[in-house]
Amino acid sequence: MREVAIIGVGAHPSGRFLDKPLKALAYPAIWGALDDAGVKATDINVAYVGNSLGGLLTGQEGVRGQVVLQHSGITGIPIINVENACASAMTALRGAWLEVASGAADIALAVGVEKMNVGDNARTIGALSGVSELDLSELGMQFTTSYAIHPKINLKARMQEYGWTAADFAKPAVKNSYNGSLNPLAQHRKPLTIEEVVQSRVIVDPLTLLMCSSISDGAAAAVLCSADIAKRFSSKTKITIASCVLQSGVYRLPGDERPDSATTSSQAAYEKAGVGPKDIDAIELHDAMAPSELMLYERLGLCGPGEGPKLIDEHVTTLDGRQPVNPSGGLCSRGHPVGATGLLQIYELVWQMRGEAGARQIEKRPKVTMAQNQGGLLLGQDSAVYGCTILKS
Amino acid sequence: MKILNPDNLRVPTEPGATPCLLGNRCRDCGSVVFPKMPVCPSCHKNGNMEEIEIGRTGKLYSHTISYFAPKGFTAPAFQIFVDLPEGPRIFSLVGAGFPVERGVLEDGMEMRLVVEPLADTAEHKEELTYKYVPAGKANGARA
Repeated sequence: MREVAIIGVGAHPSGRFLDKPLKALAYPAIWGALDDAGVKATDINVAYVGNSLGGLLTGQEGVRGQVVLQHSGITGIPIINVENACASAMTALRGAWLEVASGAADIALAVGVEKMNVGDNARTIGALSGVSELDLSELGMQFTTSYAIHPKINLKARMQEYGWTAADFAKPAVKNSYNGSLNPLAQHRKPLTIEEVVQSRVIVDPLTLLMCSSISDGAAAAVLCSADIAKRFSSKTKITIASCVLQSGVYRLPGDERPDSATTSSQAAYEKAGVGPKDIDAIELHDAMAPSELMLYERLGLCGPGEGPKLIDEHVTTLDGRQPVNPSGGLCSRGHPVGATGLLQIYELVWQMRGEAGARQIEKRPKVTMAQNQGGLLLGQDSAVYGCTILKS
Repeated sequence: MKILNPDNLRVPTEPGATPCLLGNRCRDCGSVVFPKMPVCPSCHKNGNMEEIEIGRTGKLYSHTISYFAPKGFTAPAFQIFVDLPEGPRIFSLVGAGFPVERGVLEDGMEMRLVVEPLADTAEHKEELTYKYVPAGKANGARA
């Protein structure tokens, strides 16, 4: 396998863009990445396009990648459409990475794009239900419920078990809203207080509105090439993919003692990259419901059971900390256009590693970073998809 | 009225018989799954699954109140996971007649299966499905 570099990234801001179709959302992300990389549209050998809900919500059920890329002047090459729920973009990145790593392509493009605002939120929420196995969603189960009480995470039980207070529970949302307030691409740019988060309306007990990611449109893209030719295009900080791991959920019967899949996928990513949790300088993780960040700290090996709130209190994971988490604002502040999220995470990490993140730049420029992205829900007590990518500069 | 998923739920017509869920048990390793699947998710062998009746009772594993309803459902509503004595842990809604408020349900409490319309809405009032209610408590009683 060849070493693979990320030489360009681009993104469309996250938010509500009712009038923009998928291709209009993707265009600035794609050309942002091409221009950033210094490559032409005709330099791209292969492209992977992640999108989750476009079929149901826009009616473009097939060939969304070809439609989106033709609009941006990229045609003729192999284009692979990727649907993997909220981890579609990380899955697209993995496809592009494998193409270059294997030697099949020299330059590959990964795109993630999602259009969720269609003027009818009930329809959007209905489409989102479709990324859970139907046996669950047909009974009215929603993602918010899964974060609250589903065995795979069960934040309500964690709160009781660890003695987390409502304030502890609100801390990730508060921390990330501050980061998001400094990010021009973020959907929500108002810094929140503990009181505001705790007192916002309950959606699914114990999760309140300001702990939940919102309906969002957006896109992100990355240009990858073989590391040995990276210099030919870009003089910016060389960033390579140290590992890019994808796992699917496993069927878990009660009493199953195996480690959960967020843990196993991150462990595999650490192992392949030859690093451990302590070596990671900055992390973007999948906080679709903000308090899940506290659980993910444990699963990514950043702290022991129940110690999540301490990492925020002691300024470990804050922007000024030793291991800032979600410097972009995360899914709740930056936004969660589901099929774009994995590449929005990569976009943020690349900017941080280059020292180009402006007001939210981590002071000690990160050299080893991780993006953790997951999605979907299976009957077998697990998410459907777990992705974890480690970058090095 | 029709049963939403007759492959999952048996509603007997004989007097005295009670409804139950239909799951699969692996003849090799004994794992019980719901809904049914042809390959055992534990030992991954094909063709060893047999149908069994499960879930007449259960224990409440976790519960919440959803104040938000997807289209075709109503809010607030309880949403729960139930541990069935045969093995599976399943998602369920709670049967009618219990006030949807904190303190009514308690994790660990005994539950029993009832058959009711999926939701009291135009979309789902004609579809029968399984739900669980606290066992041995009069409707409306507090835990």
